[in-house]
Amino acid sequence: MTTTASRRSAPGRVAPAPHGPLAGTGRLLRLALRADRWTAAVWAVAVAGTAQVSVVGLAGLYATPADLAARAALIASPAATALAGPGYGLDDYTLGAMTANELGVWLAVPVAIMAVLAVARHLRAPEEDGRLELVRSQPVGRAAPVAAGLLATASEVLAVGVLLLAALLTTELDPAGSALLVASVVAAALVVAAATAVAAQLTTHARTTNALGLAVVGVAFVLRAVGDVHGPRSTSAWSWLSPFGWSQATAPYTLDRWWPLGVSAAAAAASVALAAVLVRRRDLGTGLLPDRPGPARGRVGGLVGLTWRRQRTSVLAWGAGVVLTAGLVGVLASAVVRFVRDEPSLSVLLGDPGDAVAAVFGLYVVFVAVLAGAYAATAVGAARADERAGRATAVLALPVGRVRWLGTQVALAAGAATTMMLLAGLVMGAGAALTLDDASQVGRLLGAAAGTVPGVLVVLGVATALVGLVPRASGAVWSYVAYTGTVGMFAALLPAGADALSPFAHLASRPGEPFDAGAAVAVTAVAALLVGAGLLGVRRRDLDA
Amino acid sequence: MTDAIAVRGLVKTFGRRRALDGLDLTVRTGEVHGFLGPNGAGKSTTVRVLLGLLRADAGDVALLGGDPWRDPVALHRRLAYVPGDVTLWPQLTGGETIDLLGRLRGGLDPRRRDELVERFELDPRVRARAYSKGNRQKVALVAALAADVELLLMDEPTSGLDPLMGAVFQEVVREAAAEGRTVLLSSHVLAEVEALAARVTIIRRGRAVSTGTLDDLRGLTRTTVVAGLADAAGARTALDGIAGAHHVRVDDDRVTLAADAPALDAVLGVLAAHGVRSVTAHPPTLEDLFLREYSDELATLGVGER
Repeated sequence: MTTTASRRSAPGRVAPAPHGPLAGTGRLLRLALRADRWTAAVWAVAVAGTAQVSVVGLAGLYATPADLAARAALIASPAATALAGPGYGLDDYTLGAMTANELGVWLAVPVAIMAVLAVARHLRAPEEDGRLELVRSQPVGRAAPVAAGLLATASEVLAVGVLLLAALLTTELDPAGSALLVASVVAAALVVAAATAVAAQLTTHARTTNALGLAVVGVAFVLRAVGDVHGPRSTSAWSWLSPFGWSQATAPYTLDRWWPLGVSAAAAAASVALAAVLVRRRDLGTGLLPDRPGPARGRVGGLVGLTWRRQRTSVLAWGAGVVLTAGLVGVLASAVVRFVRDEPSLSVLLGDPGDAVAAVFGLYVVFVAVLAGAYAATAVGAARADERAGRATAVLALPVGRVRWLGTQVALAAGAATTMMLLAGLVMGAGAALTLDDASQVGRLLGAAAGTVPGVLVVLGVATALVGLVPRASGAVWSYVAYTGTVGMFAALLPAGADALSPFAHLASRPGEPFDAGAAVAVTAVAALLVGAGLLGVRRRDLDA
Repeated sequence: MTDAIAVRGLVKTFGRRRALDGLDLTVRTGEVHGFLGPNGAGKSTTVRVLLGLLRADAGDVALLGGDPWRDPVALHRRLAYVPGDVTLWPQLTGGETIDLLGRLRGGLDPRRRDELVERFELDPRVRARAYSKGNRQKVALVAALAADVELLLMDEPTSGLDPLMGAVFQEVVREAAAEGRTVLLSSHVLAEVEALAARVTIIRRGRAVSTGTLDDLRGLTRTTVVAGLADAAGARTALDGIAGAHHVRVDDDRVTLAADAPALDAVLGVLAAHGVRSVTAHPPTLEDLFLREYSDELATLGVGER
């Protein structure tokens, strides 16, 4: 570091010695960006690519004013609103209004998740594994690592924004509106990143920081969903509690107003200031929430007990997210039915009202199943993380076979994901039964949720196969999760056959279609093959670390 | 009785790097065997092959009479492993970790566990994320030493322990050896290996360059002799005539030299003839033996011969 600095200064002139709490920020920032350049590039390409394909797809599907009006009527339903936006410009639906309303939040959520992961990676992980101690012993200010981590995150978010804008400029959308849409996506991610920086000061672990940050994303999404259902065009106070609500209030391509981003900027600045205060109050390596002493004797019962203990928090958090989402969707059922009944023109598009409900719920059930699949991917990812950290060696040096080691974790993940889906179906059904006053919905929606379980198991199988066969690429399972989510929600916009690799495309879309036992068996068999290949692979390969 | 560990011509490559290049290693049942080599020489890779975590590319590996790659579970019932860099589950306490590892093994002696926790002065109620490196290592040591096993594989087990705990470690390993257990001890603390090991193997770039008892190895090398003499200059001339006397140096009335074992008799005769006032002779320490194997590398590092 010193050599770089002196090489860069003019000969005979001594570079001013850095001092103050921010000393060294620039060098740390360069280091962080260098370490993250590929991760950021993959996110940027994925987000920009999805946006570009989706906008072109929407433009092709809804070419005439009549098509657009029908789409507007459909999207105005509460159930669709919960997953879309506040509905600016529905009276005169254009491609721009549709992009902002229906795609906007689905661009903002992944970028926000990227920001959470980046903040935990930059702010907490180096402190947890001791790297930061080495850095802080250099002439580096106390606030420099936090400042550099946040600046690195902001740079990555901006890089995604630039590529996203470039992608949107290739479409027929209005450039000014696209600029505002991208600015609002970036703003939401920055607010969430700043809130995660506060969380990073409270806890000792990158994992907990991640969980708190993702919880912020989840709560923010639900707040805006509730708000948008209650009051269209950002008239509900609920929407104004959510960073995504502020971003959506900009109404790109319709009202084109920048002022809601002032709220985002103020919130981000306040969070950063709070994080800066907190970082000055705590010692290196600690969080503000203290560690308590635990039991001196073990009650952890073998491999299953260990796996459960490791996965407990994650299972409960993901489970709560999956079940609450399902409950929210269930409660909106009556609104969907009322809406379809009041808009007879829709039956032309959707068939009779009974089928419309079925079609909409078929989509939601897959959405919930993708969430359960994402949980399964994290569970198997934990096994790989244990391997890389050397914790797996501690177990595998005991009389514990590799198949048993990985198999236990996969089995627990399969059990947890299945339980999540059944509970989700039950809660969704109960919500629908209550609001529709129709008890048969419980069985219908429980059956629909149960029907997606083979698909969830395929996601689990892909994760296992990657860990067993190509461990270095085990992170690729997230691309697969993102793929199943994208084709699940937007299959109608994408070229035919684009969803061929998603298990959910091969299962019957329930509750609309009858249960297809053959398909369920076939998809389950694929899942079993993938898990088997992974277990066989892990037995035959060298273990890392 | 068969050897506890018998490795012949072991080869392991990672990509283009040859980590083990025809390694031979024999550990007799019941002995404490020192396994020495600098970082990157292949010690940990060898231990990981012995544990069946890595598959050998070539060569024969027999551990307790079995093949660790094919039959790890049965063999692991009879051995315990202590890594140099211990990572634990951050949310479990030390006590929970020890009991968990014991349960996965099929039980460990609770009295022995408590005794070891006390001797190593480990606080078992602390969560693993709050332990220092030394304390994490103590958790692994207690879990391994409380198990009823035939073989202990230890890969730099004391790298984070303070000298007091290092002494406790030596005592505990001696007890284990007295009970008839076999110990493979890889370590950078050469004094520790010298105190514990009956035989040692020194490896270099994935090959064993020297193996045997400490006495054997000492016999192959030189004893350092320092003598204060009445006629140092005269002794020097006489010593120069002895083939096995090396590096003879005279400072005032003091002579320093390194003598091969067969030449010791003649050297002492010359010294006696020149009026000995004081004399010290010490056999090479393990450190001397080790550094001798690496003398060319020391030279390139700019460190003179010892």
